[in-house]
Amino acid sequence: MIKIAQLSCGTDYSAVQTEIEKAAEAVGAKMVYPDVDMEKINSAVERFGFNPVSPQLKLMIARAYSLAEKRYDADAVFISTCFRCAEAALVRTELRKFIQNNTKLPVVTYSFTERTKAGQLLTRMEALVTIVERKELLARERQVGLTMGIDSGSSTTKAMVLRDNKIIGKAWTPTADIFSSAETVVKEALEQAGYKLTDMEAIGTTGYGRFTLGKRYNAKLVQEELTTNSKGAVWLADRQKGEATIIDIGGMDNKAITVRDGIPDNFTMGGICAGASGRFMEMTAKRLRVEITELGALADKGDHTKVPMNSYCSIFGIQDLVTSLAAGSTIEDVAAAACHSVAEQIYEQQLQEIDVRLPVIQVGGTSLISGLVTAMEHTLGTRPIVPPNSQYIGAAGAALLSSGFLEGR
Amino acid sequence: MKVLIVPPNSLILFDLVERFGHEPLSVMAALQERIENREIESPPMNITVDVVKKGLKYAAIEIPSGIRGRLAIYGPLIDAAEAAVIMEDAPFMFGCVGCARTNEMMKLLIHKRKIPVIKLDYPNNEDEAKAMVAKLKAFLEGLKK
Amino acid sequence: MIPENETRYIVLAPDSEFTPGQIARTIHAMNFDVIVKETCFGVVVMGKREEVRRLVTEIRKIDPNRIYTKVRGFPVGDPRRCRAHKGSRPGFAQLEKEWKDLVLIEKGLQCMDRGEPVPEIKKREKVPVKELQKICREG
Repeated sequence: MIKIAQLSCGTDYSAVQTEIEKAAEAVGAKMVYPDVDMEKINSAVERFGFNPVSPQLKLMIARAYSLAEKRYDADAVFISTCFRCAEAALVRTELRKFIQNNTKLPVVTYSFTERTKAGQLLTRMEALVTIVERKELLARERQVGLTMGIDSGSSTTKAMVLRDNKIIGKAWTPTADIFSSAETVVKEALEQAGYKLTDMEAIGTTGYGRFTLGKRYNAKLVQEELTTNSKGAVWLADRQKGEATIIDIGGMDNKAITVRDGIPDNFTMGGICAGASGRFMEMTAKRLRVEITELGALADKGDHTKVPMNSYCSIFGIQDLVTSLAAGSTIEDVAAAACHSVAEQIYEQQLQEIDVRLPVIQVGGTSLISGLVTAMEHTLGTRPIVPPNSQYIGAAGAALLSSGFLEGR
Repeated sequence: MKVLIVPPNSLILFDLVERFGHEPLSVMAALQERIENREIESPPMNITVDVVKKGLKYAAIEIPSGIRGRLAIYGPLIDAAEAAVIMEDAPFMFGCVGCARTNEMMKLLIHKRKIPVIKLDYPNNEDEAKAMVAKLKAFLEGLKK
Repeated sequence: MIPENETRYIVLAPDSEFTPGQIARTIHAMNFDVIVKETCFGVVVMGKREEVRRLVTEIRKIDPNRIYTKVRGFPVGDPRRCRAHKGSRPGFAQLEKEWKDLVLIEKGLQCMDRGEPVPEIKKREKVPVKELQKICREG
């Protein structure tokens, strides 16, 4: 059983402890609380250098030291505090850095409200467990045999067929109902590849619909999108050695994942507001009456500084956009501003939770919007690599990793 | 008399209040009722979203959920209290009483009740302990008159 | 509805001459209808409220200034609070600290029992700015 150390404040009193434990249990893990001696609490706070007023936060710090000094054994760390508590947010962020600098444990942070449910935590917990349990599988660099990956995302469904480490079929479609969308892309990818479904030696599923499709297609690998996508990204970008940061701006939530030799070691996943997601790009395109595929090129021609847009909310963001258009802004400038706004939020939210390591690989359907890649470049000060087939990372990762289940290969 | 103790889970205060002839109001007793209710399935303490919502009586929605959830449990204790003993600077208060903001809010709510209150300093040595126990004893005996 | 059961910590001060085992045996010998479990600090007892309170009154008499008690929210051996299962819950650290300081409380209670004069405690005040200025100049 994987032990996830919980460093937290407020979970019991926010009705979320049960949800945390449910999520952990669903992925075969259990939450544990690192033991600390009373005497060690003061000295831990002293050495840490931040002395919070709330005693529970002091205890969190002492528990982190317990892990760093190997006085308590755990496989992964979950740091969680109440949303909107400033003191806790400071401690949460600094403890995350402390754990990363002083242990090899994968860590994820989360700020909850009483509305937080197990489902929201599930992908994060599952990724923690995957990193711990499937290190060997995640180290796989080459695909073998004939395998297929299906990525059932919130916006689009993708399938990819690989044979002997080469792409031989791929397809995508907007997600309607999970089954018919998957059927469409599977059929098309198989046709391109020239194979039948029964020819597949292994199938992997990822994305929101992974469990449902995993059952339908009898998948050998059913894995969350954080680790699967990062694996697909380094494979597609041919960056399997060394370090990298993967940015995946998804339809509903965004992921930033750091990898070392192709194995993810930390990640952050955001998604409270759609203002920083692919969905906002779609809304912008719709309002500008252009295809989403044209939005990037338009944005590249525009100047984001000419349009004030600093909203964190997609609804208010669109309002800003409408106001600017009414005031006579060009659609190029507005498109550039929308891209810049998303990039800025990714930087301010996701990228503050991890330590960005170069190169940055930008993936997911939104990486095809060139204006968004340019906006990321301006924000980061470095041009992200966009690998070919960057929208297929999930499907590619699932196909690659599922081949790890083929015996003797 | 029903005497609310702050920190509401303190062993020392619970014991002394009871020892000197009053009924301590504590968070453990308040929680026991929830914990032993087998119909609620929200371990460990059976605090549900509805409980957190009840905290809105004491703090608005923009206040972190942990504070509202705690106040939902403390609030009825404060409402029921006929007197209160507040130990200032208790060196460590974890778990139930781990949130400093909630603890401050609790003191304010007690203050607003206008009930007899005594504030004690957590003792660091024998002399301070003697003074603390004497002060508390005098207060609690005074309540009986 | 107030539950009719009560669970109590019976805590022995660190300088107590009794062991948790002795206290547990004493409780058994007194024929109280309660469940008793030994812990590092003393024992936890669980039973009908009146029975538990009667026990508390009786057990205190053994060593009044070194036996302390408080209610516990969780029943004896509840897996939701089991230390062995998941590591210590936050309240444990507080109980540990208060337990250590019971030696001080004991001195306070003794002082009351013996009718000794209560020491006057002066709070440490901060040096007034004027004073500090003077010290700085002189220094």
